[in-house]
Amino acid sequence: MQAALRSNRTRNYAARTVPLKQVRFFLICLLFSAWAAAIAGRLFWLQVVHHAEFAERAQKQQQRTIEVPSRRGVLFDRNLRELAMTVQVDSVYAIPPDIDDKPAVAHQLFALVHTDPEDTQTSEDQIAARLGSGHNSIRVARGVSAGIAGRVTALGLKGIYIQKEFERFYPDNEIAAQVLGYVGADDNGLGGLEQRYEQQLHGVPGHISKAMDARRHVMGSSESDPVAGQNLELTIDENIQFLAERALDHAMQRTQAENGTVVVQDVHTGQILALAIRPTFNPNNSRHTTPELLRNHAVSDVYEPGSAFKLVTYSAALEQHVAAPDDPIDCQHGKITLAGRVIHDDQSDHYGVISVHKALEVSSDVAAVKLALRVGQSHFYDYVRDFGFGSRTGVELPGETRGLLRPVNKWGASSIGSIAMGQEVAVTPLQLVSMVSTIANGGTYLPPHVLMPGQFAPSQPGGLKAMPFKLGEDLPNPLPTGAHRVISTLTAAEMRKMMEGVVLFGTGNQAQLNGYSSGGKTGTAQKIDPMTHTYSKTMHIASFVGIAPVNNPVIAVAVILDTPKGEYYGTTVSAPVFAEVAQRVLEYLGVPHDIDVHAPVAGSRANVRQAEDDASDRAGDMDALYSAANDLPTDDPLRAVPAQPASQPAMTAPPSQAKAQPAWTQPPPQAPAATQSGSQAARGQTSSPPGPQVVLPSGKQLRVPSLIGLPLRKVIEQAAGAGFEVVISGSGTAREQMPSAGTMAEPGTRIAVRCGR
Amino acid sequence: MAACTTYFEASCVWPARVAERNRKLFERQQTRRRGARTPEFHFSKHFDNSRLIKAPDPVRARQMRLFSAAITVLFSLVMIYGLQHFSAIEGGYQVEAEKQMRDKLREENRQLRLSEAQLTQPSRIDAMARQLGLSEPMPGQVVHPNARPDGSVPAIAQATPPAFPAQ
Repeated sequence: MQAALRSNRTRNYAARTVPLKQVRFFLICLLFSAWAAAIAGRLFWLQVVHHAEFAERAQKQQQRTIEVPSRRGVLFDRNLRELAMTVQVDSVYAIPPDIDDKPAVAHQLFALVHTDPEDTQTSEDQIAARLGSGHNSIRVARGVSAGIAGRVTALGLKGIYIQKEFERFYPDNEIAAQVLGYVGADDNGLGGLEQRYEQQLHGVPGHISKAMDARRHVMGSSESDPVAGQNLELTIDENIQFLAERALDHAMQRTQAENGTVVVQDVHTGQILALAIRPTFNPNNSRHTTPELLRNHAVSDVYEPGSAFKLVTYSAALEQHVAAPDDPIDCQHGKITLAGRVIHDDQSDHYGVISVHKALEVSSDVAAVKLALRVGQSHFYDYVRDFGFGSRTGVELPGETRGLLRPVNKWGASSIGSIAMGQEVAVTPLQLVSMVSTIANGGTYLPPHVLMPGQFAPSQPGGLKAMPFKLGEDLPNPLPTGAHRVISTLTAAEMRKMMEGVVLFGTGNQAQLNGYSSGGKTGTAQKIDPMTHTYSKTMHIASFVGIAPVNNPVIAVAVILDTPKGEYYGTTVSAPVFAEVAQRVLEYLGVPHDIDVHAPVAGSRANVRQAEDDASDRAGDMDALYSAANDLPTDDPLRAVPAQPASQPAMTAPPSQAKAQPAWTQPPPQAPAATQSGSQAARGQTSSPPGPQVVLPSGKQLRVPSLIGLPLRKVIEQAAGAGFEVVISGSGTAREQMPSAGTMAEPGTRIAVRCGR
Repeated sequence: MAACTTYFEASCVWPARVAERNRKLFERQQTRRRGARTPEFHFSKHFDNSRLIKAPDPVRARQMRLFSAAITVLFSLVMIYGLQHFSAIEGGYQVEAEKQMRDKLREENRQLRLSEAQLTQPSRIDAMARQLGLSEPMPGQVVHPNARPDGSVPAIAQATPPAFPAQ
């Protein structure tokens, strides 16, 4: 019995021990596995799933990054003269917690840094208020001179220090302000090219990253140097810009217009040489700038061009061969009925059958309507589009509008007549001057530009190069993007002659130049009264677009004056501005005279006929313009001012804010008239200038060798070796020469040598 | 009364008294250890090493020369390394100083260019010229020698002699 019990006990023990060990083992393994899995899962959760979040939090806690500002790029004109540049200035900073006697320190600082009485930021009260504001660091004064900075340092005030900062300067103040724009306090561009090319101009700021422990001790740091912004070269010529702005200032003072725009364009490249807008602002003092002053009327505002648009109509008619300059056209005594609408010419014009060029000279609306009807709606619309209207020019300026031009399927019955004479269409001054340039350069539309081409190309080598204006007759080869032929060379030549006729015999006679031929077209458009949606009887836009010289045009100029007081016709208001600008610019560019230079007579323009160029019927479909404005894309600047009619340029600052300039006077007292010299063979020198001549030295000059006493062969050899040509008279040895030996002359100059035996 | 001393006097005298007692005990121990005094004798001995000859060991000598050369080269390398290292540090300071000077001069150059641009702005020159009684040249009064001549018309070089003031 006992043996059986023992064996039973032993069996039970042996059978129960082994499974228990295995269970324990596996239980412990399971426990550890679960524990390890929990840890692994948590690590995966922290380090993989939320890696970015915790890395960012760690970086925020451990790293401190200081941004090192980059120097903003320079804006140059085409002659590489600085229009906007950034330099370092001294600024006075304070750490208020370190300052004990704040009122006394404020008084000491005020005595040194308050140099501008109008600067309220540096008044004693303001400084004291900022010192007591509780901030850790405040700026007391910005842009102090080195002397003042030295004196502040010499005070040895605790908590006051000097720091270098970048500041943007515009050395020419108001020159091309709307083109350049300005920068804000944080060095970001807020208008013009400064805003448009903010990314390129701003550069890449550097960084100083410091790793810190829990006690804010620096463990290590890394630095990246700032990359300066890219310099940009404009097509603007500073001197031409000044001439245009001065002429516009004269016009603004004379006409008291609300705003004015002058655009000067190189007809062979499409480059804008000057873009002047008044009233303007000083980008150095941007605190006094308003959005209206920043508005670039040349690209952001549109207006009905009026008769100036007839150039498109006549070009289309000539190109379509539905009319020729000498063809007769019946102006029907100044009255035509189109789709039930009666269109009148100016009340004083009752022309019958006249030639087409005469119709343009007198700005006949009836002739323009009839020519457009001959061309046909579809073709006429195509020409309007080809001349660049109804689409953005692509100029490198922010806020450009495409203008208002409805497609043909939205035209009314009389729309073709209205558009033919510049109604029911709204254009920008830049579009208008590009249209005239197209006619001037032989019929090729070249999109306007204010930046020199190729500056952003990766293959652009090194620095910028001065690209002064060069006289030339050739278009760029290859043509730039967007260029296309609109009219033939023959049509363009015929149009230029007709435009010259407008200036010589028609409404543009105040645009005549001295020594240069000129052509153009006046325009006078009534503004739309936003209150009544009717054409205003008192508000007009006077414009003139022209080219000079006519036979080989160099520049195209558009002058637009908005709401002039008193005289409001383009012929009396805008044409003189064109004359002043074109005369000065052509002389500045050294364009040879193509007609005789005559002694200017003071007041000679007072006797010319005050032609009223565009006083036609104004019963057009002006609601069409409003509907066209509604069709504009959402980013069009015209949609940003819905409270104002699309065809009315935004009102800007009152004329009193315009830059005060001395009253425009007639040309300076004339010099004694020189006698005409018949020996002047060059066409550009067909007459003697009225006064002593000033000879400007050219770039490369050579010294004229002495040829006296040399035989004829030697004369030719020596002159050719020195880089000159010779004109020999007589035979034998050289007896006289002109220019004389030692004179500095341009290579290729002809030396007249008289020989004798 | 005579045996009465102050605490201060007792503290000053006590160490001297202990030292005296120890010295006497030490002398007594020395005397006891030596017993009777024994005379000491000193002998002189001469050594003659003139017959010893140092045997030449070329291997050892070559090793020593090699070792010396290696040490010299190593020392030179260390010195050269140290020299160029500290020269590089010094050069780095100089480069940094030159860079700062360059940046300073560039900034001065920019300041000067800004001043030049401000001083040569056309409106300023125009206003100053008018204050001086100058006026713009009349049309045709300025002749550009490099003006493009009209190819259709023959031309000849001309020079207008300067008009000297009457004496």
